[in-house]
Amino acid sequence: MNSSRCAACRHLRRRCPSDCIFSPYFPSHDSKRFRCVHKIYGASNVAKMLQELPADRRAEAADSLYYEAYCRLKDPVYGCVGTITILCQQIHNAQCQLATTQAEIASLSAHSGLQNQYPATPTFNLIDQYDVASANWSDFNLQ
Amino acid sequence: MGGNSPCASCKLLRRRCAKDCIFAPYFPSDDPHKFAIVHKVFGASNISKMLQELQVHQRADAVSSLVYEANARVRDPVYGCVGAISYLQNQVSQLQMQLAVAQAEILCIQMQQQDEPNNYSNINPLLVEADDKSFLFQNNNYNHLMPQYLNFTSSNNDSFSNSNNVIYESLKKESYFGHDMVS
Repeated sequence: MNSSRCAACRHLRRRCPSDCIFSPYFPSHDSKRFRCVHKIYGASNVAKMLQELPADRRAEAADSLYYEAYCRLKDPVYGCVGTITILCQQIHNAQCQLATTQAEIASLSAHSGLQNQYPATPTFNLIDQYDVASANWSDFNLQ
Repeated sequence: MGGNSPCASCKLLRRRCAKDCIFAPYFPSDDPHKFAIVHKVFGASNISKMLQELQVHQRADAVSSLVYEANARVRDPVYGCVGAISYLQNQVSQLQMQLAVAQAEILCIQMQQQDEPNNYSNINPLLVEADDKSFLFQNNNYNHLMPQYLNFTSSNNDSFSNSNNVIYESLKKESYFGHDMVS
């Protein structure tokens, strides 16, 4: 029955029971997936996290755990938080560019007397800093 | 120095806090919650291994990011930080659209200014088609931030990891590491 073991049980060198918590999400043909999450979180932590979720949410949880573990292995210092940093910076830059562009529109419209012809461009909403777990951004300083 | 109180890690793990304890500089005893949460998600031995594999000057940032990820995971046990990434990705997309509309509007105004005598009053900039918006973005290429890497299937192929590798590597080239996120 060795061939029917999931990737987790193969890695852990144990029998794969019929109700194995890992087997739906760590199939035997993708050993890398389990190795990643095991290296970062450990098998027992992954099992605990999956067990605490309803069955219909576990697939997504396993995917996100894999993604975060993968990012952490690629970037051991910042992991996927590095991606968040980059996205925040991109948002900030885009907001500045949008503000500049809208100011230019206002200026052009005023200059050419077109303000009555073009409807006012909807002003962008200042996008709040993403507040994960109500943590202040100041709590997380990369410097 | 004898008599130093154990760090938060050693207190939680109920062990003697050695002088060279790897956790002590980053998990002071006055903030037990910080270690408790990373221990819950990652486990003390995994944290220790990760820190040992890093150079000393990188460890503080690594601990900060691990604490952040652990908090995100506790708050959202299904998506963790990936929920934040998805949210921010949507924000980037919305801004892209708003920027495209605004830049199209500028073009229309400029066209109208050049051809003042002719009547272009029926042009609505909001309806201007811009199939190829690449010229609008110039140096700001957001394409690599499109959420392909979020389209991971539930389990059964490596395509997720391959596409993610490409996108993740391109993200790294634009790393803003070291910048304070708080403006």
